[in-house]
Amino acid sequence: MRAYVEFAKKAFQNNIAYRADCVAGIINAIIMIFVNICVWKAIYEDEQAVDGVQFKMLITYVVLAFLMQCIYAMDEYHIENKVRSGSIGLDLLKPINFSGYIFSYNLGILIFRVVMQLTPALIISIILFKMLPPFSLTMFALFLLSMILGYLVLYCLNFIVWISSFWFYWTFSLVTIKDAAVMILSGALLPLWFMPQAMVDFIKLTPFASIYYVPITIYLGQVPMEEIAFALLKQLIWVLGLFIVGRLLWRSALKKLVVQGG
Amino acid sequence: MKKKPLYSPIEMIILIMKYAKLSIKSILEYKFDRVFITIAIFCREMISVVVMFLILTRFVRIKGWEYNQMFFLYSFLFLSYSVFVLFFAGMRDFDNMIYSGEFDRFLTRPLGLMYQIVASRIDLSAALGHGIVGIILFVNTAFSVGIVWNAKNIIYYIVILLSGAVIQASIFLFSACFSFWTYKVDNLRNMIFFNARRISGYPLSFYPGIIQKLLMFVVPFAFVNFFPAQYFLRKSEMSSYWNGFFYMTPVVAVIMFLLVYAFWKKGVSRYSSTGTAM
Repeated sequence: MRAYVEFAKKAFQNNIAYRADCVAGIINAIIMIFVNICVWKAIYEDEQAVDGVQFKMLITYVVLAFLMQCIYAMDEYHIENKVRSGSIGLDLLKPINFSGYIFSYNLGILIFRVVMQLTPALIISIILFKMLPPFSLTMFALFLLSMILGYLVLYCLNFIVWISSFWFYWTFSLVTIKDAAVMILSGALLPLWFMPQAMVDFIKLTPFASIYYVPITIYLGQVPMEEIAFALLKQLIWVLGLFIVGRLLWRSALKKLVVQGG
Repeated sequence: MKKKPLYSPIEMIILIMKYAKLSIKSILEYKFDRVFITIAIFCREMISVVVMFLILTRFVRIKGWEYNQMFFLYSFLFLSYSVFVLFFAGMRDFDNMIYSGEFDRFLTRPLGLMYQIVASRIDLSAALGHGIVGIILFVNTAFSVGIVWNAKNIIYYIVILLSGAVIQASIFLFSACFSFWTYKVDNLRNMIFFNARRISGYPLSFYPGIIQKLLMFVVPFAFVNFFPAQYFLRKSEMSSYWNGFFYMTPVVAVIMFLLVYAFWKKGVSRYSSTGTAM
């Protein structure tokens, strides 16, 4: 266990090295939130509430979605780089669990982003954009829980894509297509409220809604209390399902692996 | 003292053709991979279009802008970006050339540095990925927003597209220049280029004054799409801007390029290698 804590710590320290980059990241997030709010303001110019969605709620949604994107970011090419350079051969010789290593590495990045990016960005957003507080304290706790599950859904999904680098030399295309699907289908850019019903019905059958939409709507108090347990359970099922697929792929990837040096 | 160029213009053009042939050959070597990259870029770029589409199906019009007009405005960004990566992909990848040490090789050759950078790359996958999005938007809107496609308008459009490509190339090169001083420019580039580009997807008049000023005079994306689109659409909000802006795009392109070129020269003169060449 200690080894994994060290991996996370190392990832944290690696990121600290690029402080200017980190500040630029915060400024980027703030600008994009601001711009998005401007666009929504233009859309809402004539109407106060569209389909019962209040403007304030929408702003809160936009801010939360962007902040979550900030901390959900992962090192997409870590495994690919290891496979291509051959250094994965050395990693596999070490007495550690490789998937555990990758997870703790990304956890380190997550903690870095929560401390160095989320905290300042959140404070600025609360002051600048006047986002709504959580619906209630209970909802806030459930939101945090749901957000963790959302992160795990995204992580397991990402892991499956990353592992494909054992079969494909480059995963840029796959990662990019996956990102595009996540951005649209998870409600990261546009709340599912505004999508046509058929599309929403489809999205609810996929793991994507679990990533952004479910946690944020819990925060806003839009999910009735009696449905929250079901929503969380659904997230958990997706985590487990995707995790198992990832494990199976990992097994067959090991059989497939050819190290060209490293 | 000005050195006499070693090659005549005709030889330089022949050389560009040879470079292009090599680029195309290396692309054809990985046909499947390249097609897949094109599809991926297409998907990535379509995200913002789909979001806009979904918003517009709900709200029909925003601040007097209709569906067709919005997409017509957007198509400029994709088409000019496509032209940019087709001709100036080297300017896009320039920071990477420094990082990988490829730039050092250029220094040893008896040819202009900028010439080599521009000539050495063609990114067909990205050009197609962006270009297809642009063409889809253009074809769907260009004939429904009330434009008469006479000779004058067609020439105007072509000039705008090329100037837009030069403006985007200049902005890209500008952010890449910082890699002479620091070696990581990703977030800076997101800030200067990609955010500005995303912001320009919607009409300038949606934003508060400060953002409008930034997009006109600092990162001049307004001249890539907003004013050219207004030239065709002539919406009422144009009354709050100077009409001369319609024709400023080529001027902005030339000024931008000269400024950035000077900045780039300054960077080259203090360049020291990362030591990773070959």
